[in-house]
Amino acid sequence: MNFIKLGLYIHIPFCNAKCPYCSFFSIVAENELIKRSYLDALKKEINIYRQKYPETVIRSIYLGGGTPTTLSGPLIVEILEICYKNFKIDKDIEITIESNPATFDFKKAGIIFQAGVNRLSIGAQSFSNKLLKNIGRIHDKKEILNSYHIARAIGFKNINIDLMFGLPGQTIRQFNKTLEEIVQLHPEHISLYGLSIEPGTPFEKLFEKGILKIPSDDIAYAMYQKAIDFFNNYGYEQYEISNFALPGKYCFHNRIYWKNQPYLGLGASSTSYIKNIRFKNFSDLNQYIYLLVNNILPIESKEILPLKEEMAETVILHLRMMEGLAKSEFIARFKVPIESVFAEQLKRLKEQGLLDDNESHYFLTRKGISLSNIVFMEFLD
Amino acid sequence: MPTRIEDIRNFSIIAHIDHGKSTIADRILELTETISERERRNQVLDDMDLEREKGITIKSKAVRLLYKTDNGGQYIFNLIDTPGHVDFSYEVSRSLAACEGALLVIDAAQGVQAQTIANVQMALENNLNIILIINKIDLSTANPERVREEIKKIKGLENSPIFLTSAKDGRGIKEVLDAIVQYIPHPRGSGDKPLQALIFDSVYNSYQGSIVYLRIVNGTVKPGMKIQTMSNKKTYEVTETGIFSPKRKKVDQLSVGDVGYLTAGFKDITLTKVGDTITDAIHPSEQRLPGYKKVSPVVFCSMYPVENDDYHNLKYALEKLSLNDSAISYMAESSPALGFGFRCGFLGLLHMEIIQERLEREYQIQLIATTPSVVYRVHLKDKEIIEINNPSSLPEVNTIDFIEEPFIELTVVLPSQFLGGIMELVQDRRGIFKNLEYLDQDRARLVYYLPLNEIMLDFYDRIKSISKGYASLDYQIINYQASPLTKVDLLVNQDVVDNLSFICHKDKAHERARKLVENLKTVIPRQMFDVPIQAKINQKIIARSTVRALKKDVLAKCYGGDITRKRKLLEKQKAGKKRMKKVGKVEIPQEAFMSVLKIE
Repeated sequence: MNFIKLGLYIHIPFCNAKCPYCSFFSIVAENELIKRSYLDALKKEINIYRQKYPETVIRSIYLGGGTPTTLSGPLIVEILEICYKNFKIDKDIEITIESNPATFDFKKAGIIFQAGVNRLSIGAQSFSNKLLKNIGRIHDKKEILNSYHIARAIGFKNINIDLMFGLPGQTIRQFNKTLEEIVQLHPEHISLYGLSIEPGTPFEKLFEKGILKIPSDDIAYAMYQKAIDFFNNYGYEQYEISNFALPGKYCFHNRIYWKNQPYLGLGASSTSYIKNIRFKNFSDLNQYIYLLVNNILPIESKEILPLKEEMAETVILHLRMMEGLAKSEFIARFKVPIESVFAEQLKRLKEQGLLDDNESHYFLTRKGISLSNIVFMEFLD
Repeated sequence: MPTRIEDIRNFSIIAHIDHGKSTIADRILELTETISERERRNQVLDDMDLEREKGITIKSKAVRLLYKTDNGGQYIFNLIDTPGHVDFSYEVSRSLAACEGALLVIDAAQGVQAQTIANVQMALENNLNIILIINKIDLSTANPERVREEIKKIKGLENSPIFLTSAKDGRGIKEVLDAIVQYIPHPRGSGDKPLQALIFDSVYNSYQGSIVYLRIVNGTVKPGMKIQTMSNKKTYEVTETGIFSPKRKKVDQLSVGDVGYLTAGFKDITLTKVGDTITDAIHPSEQRLPGYKKVSPVVFCSMYPVENDDYHNLKYALEKLSLNDSAISYMAESSPALGFGFRCGFLGLLHMEIIQERLEREYQIQLIATTPSVVYRVHLKDKEIIEINNPSSLPEVNTIDFIEEPFIELTVVLPSQFLGGIMELVQDRRGIFKNLEYLDQDRARLVYYLPLNEIMLDFYDRIKSISKGYASLDYQIINYQASPLTKVDLLVNQDVVDNLSFICHKDKAHERARKLVENLKTVIPRQMFDVPIQAKINQKIIARSTVRALKKDVLAKCYGGDITRKRKLLEKQKAGKKRMKKVGKVEIPQEAFMSVLKIE
């Protein structure tokens, strides 16, 4: 009965420095001791879930952050080994780790590759040292290239590079150059994110005060359109709003999110989604550790999704993927055709040229991709 | 209780805003022991919150006091409180007409102000004896000698006695009371003549109908008597007569010289108009008391509820408010952009502001109010003359011969160092210089004629900011004059937004149109198509701008942890969209209209 297949996310909330645009939960660790305590807490959390869901099968592991590579090689290995020991692991599992080029070296790369990590995500963001400085990154272009070449030398066959556009001081011409440079490296996967001003970040304050200037929406739009065409030309398929990959190299773990399938999130601030219940851990390191020391799950909030919302989220998340939502998938999941629930919305969006369908799927049009919020809003109350 | 007409004194207190009128009234009430300490609240006569807050008296009230002099004399004082603002000048003048004297209060620190002068003129027109009170002598900035000098410059006050008071600590008030006995004449008139009573106010009560506040000029009135309102010759039977002590208290009759109230089953207050004369229906007086005029609104605006559901509440609230304020007019209207609302008329800008605030505060209705408009007289080519109070109802331009607009005489009293700035402002508002007088070495009184329309927007604030708050102003409408006026329409995506149309002087149309177009551009959210914003006169576009199509509205990241937050963001965005109003195909948030109407 408790047999579930899950994606597993593990949050490593440590960074060597906080990036001023980032709203994810992380801290700059004062010493190694806190990392040790965090790891012990993580172990306990895994233990509790093993007892709760003894028949769990893990389909993917994703070490995200924060910056997972701020941990030493042995600590990363320790985390993976706890997972292997406590859960059933799918054969051919995808195991991803996020890295910051400044915290990645040959030795560490070798150790984690040995421990089973088979997908590396490099947080490059830009290939311009000036722009990297503008957004408070602690690494430079040289370190990006180093990380990449080390990973290749070690044997990583699946590498993602994170790239951002719409950065302060960025021009279209500069962005084009970055596009050229990235395809020359030929990574299997590229994530392309538009900079957004997030609440509670230093960038938000600077932006409101008018000190921080970012390219206009129109320029950001042009960059995005340019990137889509450019990557296509180089054989990258846009398979999600912000993600591009060579054939067969889609990120398995992230597709679990977009298919609205179950996942377990471990570590401070992580979110889990199991059987239409979404729950989230405390985004406070002390709280997280304290509760687990006392054998209590560090869950801060829990949300039981009503059917209508589950339907809406299923549609929205699927539509983030270019393949869209299979009509059969909706029926299989909810026992009713999508048209019986969202007829009006589907019709309106098709008229607006934002959505289209064929025999099997609903999917965003090219226009709909850039205006996806307008599409998604339709399905919400 | 004295009953002789010789023992009655009827008087008002008049003052510029904040010069201490209500506090003086409080002290007088205390010294005459009309009301107990326990009942006393500050500013007893003002019972609306808003009056307290704005420090002004909106509706006039009356109170009857018993005063005993030190030598054993007993007098009845009828104190009639008056509204303190130019918008209510007709009501003030009728209250004054019910008196024989007035206490003119002047702030010892601020000195003579624009309304002080207006008040003096009004009191003199009503032949009142004026007692001057230089108040707030307790202030460290008080300069009574300077104020004395300023008073000397005002015509008509040569024979008025001057008293120094501090209403705050009570100094000088007793002397003022004795002066009332001495300087203000008792009422004249005859109890034997046919009834003549002046209506100076009325309030509505759901049980008794309109309760009329009146001053008996001749004759006597008591319950059971048949009376007539002379403006419309309607007859009623008196059901109750009474006095104010200060609450309403029944008495058997009111006779010559008295101030009191009566009820006679008046269904609403439009039947008991301020300034009208009540007489005996059987033995009517041949003459109406002088000074009655029909009061009509001079400033109009449209008011819409922010929440559509509040429309009926708004209607109910306006009905309620107009029960006690016959000067408000309202008519239902609708607008594609703002939904259902009302076109409302007021006596002036302050009157409008007070009503808007009362609607929001007492009835909890959030409002969008459009830019106020004056009443234009449009002379058509076929010789017909029509009055319009809404720019959107201006007839086709080729049918119009010419347009007239109301002009005012504006009086500004100010420190002379600000003369240059204020004159520049008023001249820019089409002001015609009339007079400049120095009240003393460094204070002046400036008189201009200018169109009422020119003070509708951002005038008071500009005056205050130029003069650092030291200038005071007063105005009265003097006449209608022909002006080269033109109507400007605003179009959003080719559709006219009628609430944004405006009438202004030809020379100013381009400038104002351009500003409005630019403002609109910044507040209209980008749509999925280009939205042109245009301003036009007749068929000619005089300003334009474009809100470019929205191309990008996308959340880059959405992974496991983000979904709930992203969904909430989208839900919020959607809730905002739902509240938007549609002008043609264009969705515009109501806040956009509000901010445009404000900026204007």
